[in-house]
Amino acid sequence: MAQKRQDADVAFIEALARVLRDNDLTEIEVDREFGDNDSLSVRVARGGAVVQTVTSAPVAAAAPAAPAAPAAASAPAPAASSDDPADLPGAVTSPMVGTVYLQAEPGNPPFVKVGDKVSEGDTILIVEAMKTMNQIPAPHSGTVQRILVEDGAPVEFGAPLMVIA
Amino acid sequence: MTYQAITLDTVDSTMAEAARRMEAVTGPTWIMARQQTEARGRRGRAWSMPPGNFAATLILPLSDPPDRAALRSFVAALALADAFAATTGRTDPFTLKWPNDVLLNGGKVAGILLERHGLTSPLLIGIGVNLATAPGVGEVEARAARPVALASATGTTIALEDFLDALAPAFATREDAFRTYGFDPIRTAWLARAARLGEVITARTATSETTGTFDTVDNQGCLVLNTAKGRVTIPAADVYF
Repeated sequence: MAQKRQDADVAFIEALARVLRDNDLTEIEVDREFGDNDSLSVRVARGGAVVQTVTSAPVAAAAPAAPAAPAAASAPAPAASSDDPADLPGAVTSPMVGTVYLQAEPGNPPFVKVGDKVSEGDTILIVEAMKTMNQIPAPHSGTVQRILVEDGAPVEFGAPLMVIA
Repeated sequence: MTYQAITLDTVDSTMAEAARRMEAVTGPTWIMARQQTEARGRRGRAWSMPPGNFAATLILPLSDPPDRAALRSFVAALALADAFAATTGRTDPFTLKWPNDVLLNGGKVAGILLERHGLTSPLLIGIGVNLATAPGVGEVEARAARPVALASATGTTIALEDFLDALAPAFATREDAFRTYGFDPIRTAWLARAARLGEVITARTATSETTGTFDTVDNQGCLVLNTAKGRVTIPAADVYF
């Protein structure tokens, strides 16, 4: 999952680099807050300046400063991340091994989207095992910060499913 | 444990009716309907229910964690096979497909759907049986088992109430065994009736397909296949022969 987040971060930095180039800017700095103890800070600059990214959980290592712009190719190197999304504040973990479904049935809207406010007890997804559909309730109220699983994906017991904070 | 039974003429679906009633029941309760206007299967699949076919949902209050609750798939399938044996006097045409399909002459005679609406909610076990009529082949998915009806395949004609009178005690007996002795006797009895044990089968999920020799069901209820890449343990999939 850390890898997926990292890929998303790389895509974001690449997008910033395009904005920089397309608008003939020299520097962009962005701070993104995903949740408590979970943020991404990026500064992308052109003309011999540096690219800096500082990422808190779940990607552990701050990227090494890269010497050249645009930023695209110099996104964080794969880090030996020790962060476990299951340890994030507000993480909801799977109570069982099975398959995840993000909506009640195919074609329906998802139970929740990132940014949605949920109340404790609201169904946020389904985990199926042995043809038993288990509606998983939000363990606490809050805002859906991240959805860490894809529809139809297999999950293990204790796997992080979502972050609600 | 005492099992209650409620019979209704028409509901949208017995699963929906059971969900509406589940907080009010004081013990295991069967909700049976003569007619369903919005019968459904797993993941929104349509379930065809011509008149004379059986539909009921058991509301089973539980405190089990979800992995243990899910083993009721096997309990329910065995109970349904027991009910078929009791009402037809035959066991040989009935086999089981992982985890909870009961087959009659290899065809689909019933469907079992299990839902839990919260981690401590009652388990809802919906059972539909083609007692009188099988839906047409055109009404089921292309790769699904051929639909069959009890009446035409076995010559047994049985009223809905009589079938529930066979199914409810069969379930209670298997459930008692599960609560007393755990999954082991359920697993053993299930395997004794399993179709295609030792043969090559395919397990398909939304994202993958695994083909291998059907080795066993493990003590967690997972399907175990021996494949070219080794032994694979599968907690959720659709099985195709």
